[in-house]
Amino acid sequence: MVKPRMCFTLLYADDNFHLSRNFSLQEVGDLDWLMTNYEFESIVRSVDELLILNVGKGELDWSRFLKTVREVVKHCFMPVAVGGGIRNADQARLLFENGADKLVLNSAFFTESDLVTGLAKLYGEQSIVASIDFRRNNSGVAEVFIDGGSLNTGLPLAAGVSGAARRGAGEIYLTSIDRDGTGIGYDLAALEIAFKSCDLPIIAAGGADTTDRLAEGIRSGFVSAVSTAHLFNFMCDGLRDSREELIKDGITLSKWSFGDLKSC
Amino acid sequence: MKVVIVDYGLGNLWSVRNAFEFMGAEVTVSSDPEMVSRSQCIVLPGVGNFGSGMRNLRTRGLVDALNEAVLDNGARLLGICLGMQLLVDDSEEAPGVQGLGWIPGKVTRFCEVTTRLPHMGFNSVVTTQRKKNCFPSIQDETPDFYFVHSYCVQPRYERHVLARSTYGSEFVSAIGKDLVFGVQFHPEKSQSSGLRLIGDFLKSVARENHG
Repeated sequence: MVKPRMCFTLLYADDNFHLSRNFSLQEVGDLDWLMTNYEFESIVRSVDELLILNVGKGELDWSRFLKTVREVVKHCFMPVAVGGGIRNADQARLLFENGADKLVLNSAFFTESDLVTGLAKLYGEQSIVASIDFRRNNSGVAEVFIDGGSLNTGLPLAAGVSGAARRGAGEIYLTSIDRDGTGIGYDLAALEIAFKSCDLPIIAAGGADTTDRLAEGIRSGFVSAVSTAHLFNFMCDGLRDSREELIKDGITLSKWSFGDLKSC
Repeated sequence: MKVVIVDYGLGNLWSVRNAFEFMGAEVTVSSDPEMVSRSQCIVLPGVGNFGSGMRNLRTRGLVDALNEAVLDNGARLLGICLGMQLLVDDSEEAPGVQGLGWIPGKVTRFCEVTTRLPHMGFNSVVTTQRKKNCFPSIQDETPDFYFVHSYCVQPRYERHVLARSTYGSEFVSAIGKDLVFGVQFHPEKSQSSGLRLIGDFLKSVARENHG
C-alpha cells in the first residue's frame, strides 16, 4: 500500500526562505545560505516530497522565483510541488517547465475557479494541490482564509475542502494559521473535518516542529502526509533523524538510503 | 554513457534528465527522429494520456524512429510511467489507438470502486524474476518507488513481468522483453532507490556495448 509521506515546506518570499509564525514571516536566508548552513541536501534526501511556496505579500519577481525553483529542484530526486501566487496558465506552465511536478494553488480555488479547473483538465488533477488556510473564529468554527491568510472568506472548512475537490484539486494541503509556527501540534479536529469532506489525500501543515508532532499527525489516520516548515528545528540531519525515529516507532514510511550510492 | 531522452511533448523531462545526469549519463533530450533512431540507449518518459502519447510520437515521426532503434539497431530502452504503457499493444484509456506493441499486453484502469485514483505516492516494488534481472537493485530487497497513475499494464505473458506492486490489488510495476524495459513508477522521483535503478540500467547498457 501507499506509504504515508513526510514532507518539508520551503517558504519563499523576496528571494529568501522564511520561518513563519501565524503567517508572520521571519527571514532565514537564501538558497546558498541554506545549502551551507542547513545542509539542505540532507533535508531533501530525507523527505518524500518538497513544497516550495511563495508566501511574499508584494509583487512576485517571477524570473527570480523560477530560477530559485530550478536551483532547488536540481538537488531533488522526489516530487516537488510549487505554488503561491499563480494567477494564470502561463505562470503554471512556467513552473512545470522549471521543474515543478505539482502546482499548489490557494486563493485561486476560491476566486478564479475557472483557472483551477482548466489547469486540472490540462495537467491532470493529480498535479494540482489545493492549499487551504483556515483559522478558528471565536466560536471555534474553522473558516477558510485566502490572500496569505489576510482575508476571511467566511466559508466553513468543510465547504472549502469539498469545493476545492469539486474544482479539480488532487490533494489538499491544509494549514492552521492559528497553529502555524507554534509547535503545539496539528489541529487534528480540523484534519478530521477535511478528511470527511472529500476523498482526496490530505497533507497536514501548521503546528508541527518536532518528530512527535509529525507522528501525531500520521497516527490521526486523517492524512496521507504531514509537513513541517520549521527550518530551525529540522536543519542539517534533523529531518533524517526524525524519519529514522518515526520508522523505529512503527510508522511505515518509505525507506531508502543514499549510503554508498555511486554514479556510473 | 550516452542516453537520449525522447521529448514528445508530455511530462517533466527536467527531472528525468537531472536523475540520469546525476548517475553519470551524458544526456541529450531530443524529439529528432534521426537522433532517436541512431541512439543505443533510449529513455521514453511521459506523463498523461495514452492516446495523446501515441499521437505525439506519431506526428513527430518518432514511432518509426523508435522501431528502427529498438527492432533494427538493438537499442536498449527504458519506458517510464506512460512510457511503459506505450510499450504494449493498446489501452482502455484510448480505445482503438495502437501502442508500440513491443511487449504483448494491454493497459487497463485500476478498479475505482476499491481504490482512490490516481495511485500516488511511494509504494513497494517486489521483483518476480530472480535470475537475469536487468535491475539488481530491486532484486534482493523490496524498495519503495514513487508512483502516479490510474492505469496499469497487463502483459500477456508472465515471463515479461519483472516486478509487481500492490494497490488495492496486485499490479505489474515493471516489465521487460529482450532489451526493452518499462517501469510504472518514477525512478527519477524515488530518491536513492530510483537512482540505483537508473544506475542498473546504465550499467546494463555498458555491459551490452562491451560484451
